[in-house]
Amino acid sequence: MLISIRDLTKTYSVGDVAIHALRGITLDVLAGEFVSVVGPSGSGKSTLMHILGCLDSPTSGQYLLSGDDVSRLSDDELSAVRNKQIGFVFQGFNLLARTSAVENVELPLLYSTKDRVPVVERRRRALAALAEVGLHDRATHHPNQLSGGQQQRVAIARALLNNPSILLADEPTGNLDSRTSLEVMDLFQRLQDERGITIVLITHEQQVAEYGSRIIRFKDGYIVSDRPNPSRRSTIADAFGPAEDFEAAAT
Amino acid sequence: MTMPVSMSIALKALGRNRLQTALTMVGMTIGVAAVLAMIALGTGAEAAIDQQVRAAGMNLIVVTAGNYKVKTEDDLGVVDHQAAFAPDRSSVRPAPALWYPDRAPTFRLIGHPEDDPMEKHNHPTASQRLGDTEAGLGSAATLSAADADAIRRIRGVQYVAEGLHQNAHVVFGAKRWFTRLHGTDVELPSIRRAWTMRSGRFFSAREQRTRAQVVVLGSVAANTLFGDEDPVGRDVAIWKQPFRVVGVIGNTSWMVAAAKGDDQFDAVYVPYTTVHALLNLSKLNDITITSASTGDVTRVAKDVTDVLRARHQIGPKAPDDFTVATQARQALAKGGLRPEVARAVVGNVAGLEKVTLEQLGKTLDRASRTMTALLAATAAVSLLVGGIGIMNIMLLSVTERTREIGIRRAVGARARDVLRQFLVEAVTLGLAGGGVGIVVGFAAALAISRTLHWSTSVSPWAVLVSFGIAALVGVFFGWYPARQAARLHPIDSLRFE
Ligand SMILES: Nc1ncnc2c1ncn2[C@@H]1O[C@H](COP(=O)(O)OP(=O)(O)OP(=O)(O)O)[C@@H](O)[C@H]1O
Ligand SMILES: [Mg+2]
Repeated sequence: MLISIRDLTKTYSVGDVAIHALRGITLDVLAGEFVSVVGPSGSGKSTLMHILGCLDSPTSGQYLLSGDDVSRLSDDELSAVRNKQIGFVFQGFNLLARTSAVENVELPLLYSTKDRVPVVERRRRALAALAEVGLHDRATHHPNQLSGGQQQRVAIARALLNNPSILLADEPTGNLDSRTSLEVMDLFQRLQDERGITIVLITHEQQVAEYGSRIIRFKDGYIVSDRPNPSRRSTIADAFGPAEDFEAAAT
Repeated sequence: MTMPVSMSIALKALGRNRLQTALTMVGMTIGVAAVLAMIALGTGAEAAIDQQVRAAGMNLIVVTAGNYKVKTEDDLGVVDHQAAFAPDRSSVRPAPALWYPDRAPTFRLIGHPEDDPMEKHNHPTASQRLGDTEAGLGSAATLSAADADAIRRIRGVQYVAEGLHQNAHVVFGAKRWFTRLHGTDVELPSIRRAWTMRSGRFFSAREQRTRAQVVVLGSVAANTLFGDEDPVGRDVAIWKQPFRVVGVIGNTSWMVAAAKGDDQFDAVYVPYTTVHALLNLSKLNDITITSASTGDVTRVAKDVTDVLRARHQIGPKAPDDFTVATQARQALAKGGLRPEVARAVVGNVAGLEKVTLEQLGKTLDRASRTMTALLAATAAVSLLVGGIGIMNIMLLSVTERTREIGIRRAVGARARDVLRQFLVEAVTLGLAGGGVGIVVGFAAALAISRTLHWSTSVSPWAVLVSFGIAALVGVFFGWYPARQAARLHPIDSLRFE
C-alpha cells in the first residue's frame, strides 16, 4: 500500500469560524494506480492533495506513506520526502519567474541531500527530462516566453526529475485549452504506462478524469463515491478505436 | 544545497535588481572604507611614531673627538660665537667674504672657536690653513678611520659613519653658497632614517675608496644653487676643485621642515676619504654609530668607549680624549632642528632627550587617536546604517519572493536551505559593498597621507579584517530576514499572493 489514510480531517479557522475542508477521509492507493479526484469547488480536493504531498498537515487522522507515519517525520524528513518521492504539478504551474526552463527543471536536484549531483550531470538530466516532454528546444526560455501548455510541461518535467513514486497533479489542465489539455494528459498516460508511476490527479473536467483507472468523487469534505474506471481513456485506445476493443486486447 | 549553488542563486537574485543592490551596498561601502582607513591610519601612525623616534636618534651613538664636557656643562652647549659668525644667508654674495676682521673681538667670548671641531666657521679653518696636527686641533684630533673600523667590529653595532665637518663655499656657475660640508661614509644614509634620495643616489663605496670628487647635496643647498633644476650630473666647485653631483637628499620627516641653516639639508656630503685627500687631513671629527637594537645602546656605547680607550692607550686614571654621546641631545642639537631652536632647547630643558621624545610620541599618539576615534565612529554609524539597509532589502526580498520560497520548499528545499540562501544573499551584499569599500578605503588612506602627511599603511591583515567585518554585518543583519523566510510554512508561501 503506497498511500493509506484513515479518518483524515482538516479544519481551518478563519477568525471565529471553523471551516471543515476535510471531514474524515479514508482512502488507500496502490502503487501504480491512476486516481482521478473530482468534485465541486471548495470540496477539499486541493486540501487533500497538499496533505498527501506533505506540504500541509492534517488536523486529525493518520497518513501512512509507504508504511511510514508522516506525522512523525521531521521537517527535514518531510522535505526529503517531497524531494525524492513526490512530484507536484500545480494548476498555476508554479515555475520560478525569470529563470530558464532548464534551471526550473533541475531545481529538485539542487536539494537532493543524499547524493550530490554534479553541475554537468544536473544539466544533462534536466535537458533529458525537457526532451521527454518535447521541449528540448525551449531549454533557455523563461516561463513568460512559453505558452501555458509548454509551461505545464516544464512543470511536469520538473516533477519527474527525481523519479518520484507519486505524481500529484492539481488541475494540471485547468488553465489550458482542450487540445493542450489532451496533450498533457497523454503525457501523463504515457508516464504511467512506461514508469508505473502512481498518479493522483485532481480535475473538474470529466473528460480529463476519464484518464484515471479509478475515479473518486468529493463533496463538502467527504468522499461520496470511489469507483474503478474500466473505460479509461488512453492514447492508444484513441488510436485503435473504441475503448472496449482496447480493454479486450489488453486483457 | 552546496555553497556554489547558494552563491549563484544569490548573485542571480541580486543581479535582477541592480540599482537596489547598488544602493544597499553604499552604506556598507562607506562603513568598510572607514574601517580600512582607520586601521591604515592606526598602523601608519604607529609606524610613523616609531620612525620619528628612530629618526630622532634613539639608537644613535656619536663619538666626538676631544673631551669638551667641562665647556658643555658651563653653557649647556650654547656656543654663542656661532651666532656671531653665522654666515650671512640673506643673499648670495657676489664675492667671497671669508674673513670678517671687524667681528674679531667676539672671539673673546669663548676663546678660539677652532678649538671645537664641531663648530661652524665662516673663515678658513685652521686645518685648512695648516693641516690638522698644527691647526690647533691638537689633542682634539684623536679619532681616526682605523678607530671607526675597530668600532665596526663591535657586536651590536649596525652602521658606522666617519664624520669630518667643514664649512665650505659650494660654487655653481655664478652662484655660490656657504654651507656645511660633511665628509662622511657610505653608511650615513642608513643611519639617517628620515632621509630620502630626492634625486640620484648617495656616493658609492667605490667612489669612497677611490677618493672620487663626488658630492651629494642636501635639499636646501640644492634648491639654493640649482633652483628647480636637477643637479644630478652637474659639476660644482668646492675648494676650487670640481665635484660631480651624484644625488640630492630630501627629508621624509614632516615634523621638521628643512630650512636654511639646517645641518643636514643645508649641507653637502662628500666621501671623507676625499676630504682627507684634498685637505691633507688624516683624522675625523666624529664617528656616528647606530646600534642594531635600541635597547642595546648603552652597552654598545660602553664597548665603544672601551675599544677607543684601549686603542688610544689611555691609562685608567686619565680622562677620555673623546666624547661618547648616546642620546637625543646630540640628535636634537645637530639633527633635524634648526640650530637656534636646538640650542635653545638643549640649553633650557633638563633631561631633554627623554621628555622630548616622550612628548613627541604622546602628541603624535593623541593626534592619531583622535583621528582614529573619528573614523571609528564613522565606521560604526555607516556599518549600522549599511546593515539596516541590508536587513530592509532582505525583508522586502523575502516578502517579494514568498512564492519562490514555496516552490523551492515543494520540490524539497529544507528550511535550512532557504535560510542559507537568504543569508548568503545578505552576506554577498555585505561583501560586495565591503569590496568596493576596501578600494575606497585604500584611496582614502592614500588621500589622508597625501594631504595631511600622515603616514598610513594598508596591510593584507587590514583588508582581511575589513572583509570579515563586512561579512559579519551581512550575517548579523541578514539573519532575521533569512529566518523569517525559513520559517514560512510551505503551503502558506505557495498560496501567498
Ligand atoms: N488556508 C485556508 N484557510 C481557510 N480556509 C481554507 C484554506 N484553504 C482552503 N480553505 C477552505 O477549505 C475548503 C476546501 O478548499 P480546497 O482548496 O481544498 O477546495 P478544492 O476542492 O480544491 O476547490 P477548487 O476545485 O475550487 O480548487 C474551501 O472551503 C476553502 O475555503
Ligand atoms: Mg483546488
